[in-house]
Amino acid sequence: MNASDISVIDTDVLVIGGGTAGPMAAVTVKEQDPSLDVMLLEKANVKRSGAISMGMDGLNNAIVPGHSTPEQYIKEITIANDGIVHQPALMAYAQRSFPMIEKLDSWGVHFQKDETGDYDMKKVHHLGTYVLPMPEGHNVKKILYRRLRRNRVQIENRFQATRLLKDADGRIAGMIGVNTRTAEPIIIRAKAVIMATGAAGRIGLPTSGYLFGTYENPANNGDGHAMAFHVGADLANLECFQINPLLKDYNGPACAYVTGPLGGFTANSQGERFIECDYWSGQMMLEFFKELEGGNGPVFLKLDHLAEETIQEIETVLHTNERPSRGRFHDGREIDYRQNMVEMHISEVGFCSGHSASGVWVDETGATTVPGLYGAGDMASVAHSYMLGAFVYGQICGESAAAFAKGRGEMPSLDQAFIAAELERIQAPLKVADGIPPAQMEYKVRRLVNDYLQPPKVTRKMEIGLQRILAVREDLPRLQATDPHELLRALEVQSIIDCAEMAARASLYRTESRWGLYHYRVDLPEQNDTDWFCHTRLYKDDNGNMAHGKRPVAPYLVELGEEKDAYQKLRVRKAANA
Amino acid sequence: MKRYDDPELQEIAERLADPDPGIRRVAVLALVDSGEPEAAELLIQALKDEDAAVRQEAAKVVDEFDAEDIADSLLAALGDADEVVRNAAAHALADLKDPGVAPPLLAALERSDDPFVVAGILRALKPLRVVAAQTPALTRLNDDDPHVRREAVGVLGWLKAEENLPALIDRAKSDADPEVRRAAAGALVYAAPERAGPPLMVILDDPHWQVRCEAAIGIGKLDYRAGLEPLIAASHDTTWQVREKAAEAMGKLRVAAAVPALGECARDPMSNLRKAAIGALGAIAEPECRPFIELALDDPDPDVRKLARWAQSQLDNAA
Amino acid sequence: MPTATQRTSVPVIVDEDKCIADKGCTVCIDVCPLDVLWINPDTGKAHMRYDECWYCLPCEADCPTDAVKVEIPYLLR
Repeated sequence: MNASDISVIDTDVLVIGGGTAGPMAAVTVKEQDPSLDVMLLEKANVKRSGAISMGMDGLNNAIVPGHSTPEQYIKEITIANDGIVHQPALMAYAQRSFPMIEKLDSWGVHFQKDETGDYDMKKVHHLGTYVLPMPEGHNVKKILYRRLRRNRVQIENRFQATRLLKDADGRIAGMIGVNTRTAEPIIIRAKAVIMATGAAGRIGLPTSGYLFGTYENPANNGDGHAMAFHVGADLANLECFQINPLLKDYNGPACAYVTGPLGGFTANSQGERFIECDYWSGQMMLEFFKELEGGNGPVFLKLDHLAEETIQEIETVLHTNERPSRGRFHDGREIDYRQNMVEMHISEVGFCSGHSASGVWVDETGATTVPGLYGAGDMASVAHSYMLGAFVYGQICGESAAAFAKGRGEMPSLDQAFIAAELERIQAPLKVADGIPPAQMEYKVRRLVNDYLQPPKVTRKMEIGLQRILAVREDLPRLQATDPHELLRALEVQSIIDCAEMAARASLYRTESRWGLYHYRVDLPEQNDTDWFCHTRLYKDDNGNMAHGKRPVAPYLVELGEEKDAYQKLRVRKAANA
Repeated sequence: MKRYDDPELQEIAERLADPDPGIRRVAVLALVDSGEPEAAELLIQALKDEDAAVRQEAAKVVDEFDAEDIADSLLAALGDADEVVRNAAAHALADLKDPGVAPPLLAALERSDDPFVVAGILRALKPLRVVAAQTPALTRLNDDDPHVRREAVGVLGWLKAEENLPALIDRAKSDADPEVRRAAAGALVYAAPERAGPPLMVILDDPHWQVRCEAAIGIGKLDYRAGLEPLIAASHDTTWQVREKAAEAMGKLRVAAAVPALGECARDPMSNLRKAAIGALGAIAEPECRPFIELALDDPDPDVRKLARWAQSQLDNAA
Repeated sequence: MPTATQRTSVPVIVDEDKCIADKGCTVCIDVCPLDVLWINPDTGKAHMRYDECWYCLPCEADCPTDAVKVEIPYLLR
């Protein structure tokens, strides 16, 4: 098939990714101007896609009047991220977080309320109150789907975007992709594009060795990060890996935010708390890692001191929400929260701003560095966003993209040579005979990530890892797909290789340690604010290579002042990476 | 049979008229994907299907539709013979959130005796916060079925009206069902402290620990300082969860008289209680808190130590 | 490069007596985020074609006839 044979679909705004941020972005564009055409493209099916396919059990970062303030929240997130944040973006989130809760509430999302109908906020952190449970939060996706239909957003399921398109002026022009069931190519021309492709959660290998037993939904494999790189957008702080505490082998969240307010906690083998850090951060993960590897390890979720009524409440929430197969996992091992502590571990590495701070760079309007291209949710760089951040930045991007599309007259022109080359790349694995299956190549590169890039990071090991990852890249001409489904996986592997290379290069670039375990370099253990109090950039240079740079931290809107000392007192007396 | 302009919807309508109930059932699933407002009509039709499996399927997807379009059918479905259908209808009704549906809900409540139906309607009325629901809810506070009484408490709690306090206090003190007592105790916090405080002090002696917890939380939320003595007593409760809530509540009252009791809590074997106690001492931040806080700086539990450091800085700031 | 096929025990099990894919139902196939469920051409019923499961449960939860059962993948069990 030639490029000229593919019909081009036009839309004003294209949203790539139908999980959490994407549907909110698409609905927002329609709310801004119902006359705008909006298309929502999803690799799976919007009904059950993304990180919250089975719902979510709570908000971890709700800023509700009377319980916390945007200023307080920004201080805490700034400190938890060792100062490297874009505060204007945090402020936009913080100010919109409560109106978004109210909007979702009016749509029918169930937040926990007290007996008088007020939000039932829970204090989990020491300085602010940010946790709002959602014990009946399993219907979030259904509600989003209802809104999409009501606003007549055009939904295209089972299409994988593979590359973004630009016009001659360097502005976004749309995307090219492929149907995951037929391998038919698709070209969508758009005046503005919003990416909401989720985390890059399939870079590392879970300890079980099962390729799809990842912490993140494995459909979130980093396609968006790779596409952003190839279209020339900046990525930020990729060395700040996501690593999360989880139930060992099951590899799903233990949900400290669910069990914490009810009295459960993370314990060592003595059944005692050991975490000094207050806010979810790389520092906390470093403490977790040390206990896991130390003489008091491993680490457990401890609930066996709680009352029967409380355990039942926890089971109801954990076994019906977010990752509901937790219950049958425990059953299989005859683990009962009443009698046993549950063994925990740490996840494989990934890029996910929902829990850390890395991703495609966006500012407080959701704009990337490519005009007309916006990013929201786990793939965009706003730190510690979680689910509510995905909704808020979905909304922000929807507003920004609607305005951009309306300000742009004609549909953009397309680069036919680029499209022809991309079509060639997409179809190449189908033309290979007796080649390497995608799963084999994927296993190899992800195993290399574990062996060489998983923190604690060692310079020489990372250099070797990079060379080995590049060697896998050399094998790409032999990558073979025997059907459209394997083609989907073959294209995903290419994104995974891109992400693995970015992870290695970004980690080597920042020659200091920061963010606790996330970027703990054993041979460069100190935090170096003189040289590295900045965001790092990773981008494609004029020769198509990965290049690096520094981006200054924007002046703070909220000074830390005494809070920083108070927080440090709470946190650790020891040096960050001692 | 009605004809639909949208070809996909027309095709679904034809399948919904198929003699094979299996085909009709699958057609219901397809309705969910239609963006046409008329899809709701077909859903209503399916809710009345002669085959229970088709009705169940329709009931399972009612929450995919905007409930105001199908409110009447949902009310009818509350009385369905099949439990799955009735449950789904009750859940969907609770999501209505449109005050416009209050009149039909209230009318249905008037003529219903089935406890399941009544509880479902009350749950749907609660978030609407309509004054007209007050009288029927007060009546249902005396229903034989505890689920009905619990939902009636919910309606009244959300209304936050002064005149409903005596009835709620009565339920909180003397209902036979602990969940009704707990919910009613939790609802009292909308009242003025001097009205809700005294009954909450009594409820601190409830036989059920979760009700006692709720009472302690309430006294703290209300900042009812006259409740200190019973809170001190509750800080010796046999159940640590009650001791924990009592300690937290004393921290909210911020009175120095609570310090000795909190000091005892700060030595409790249960670390969750020590956390609550040190947190409360930090909130009170009076000089007599200092010895307990300094002792906690070496607590074996890091959360307690963290809070002790925070509490120490509160003391230093207050000094 | 020669290749081999290896057997693998899959986590999603479909009860063919309950499955109504032959009536046009494709719910489990539609909702799977990893697109691993397909119609078996021999039986007309759904089955797991690719061992790429996140044990996330929409296929089981959304199946109208309770025909789908998701087990924890063997490597994790």
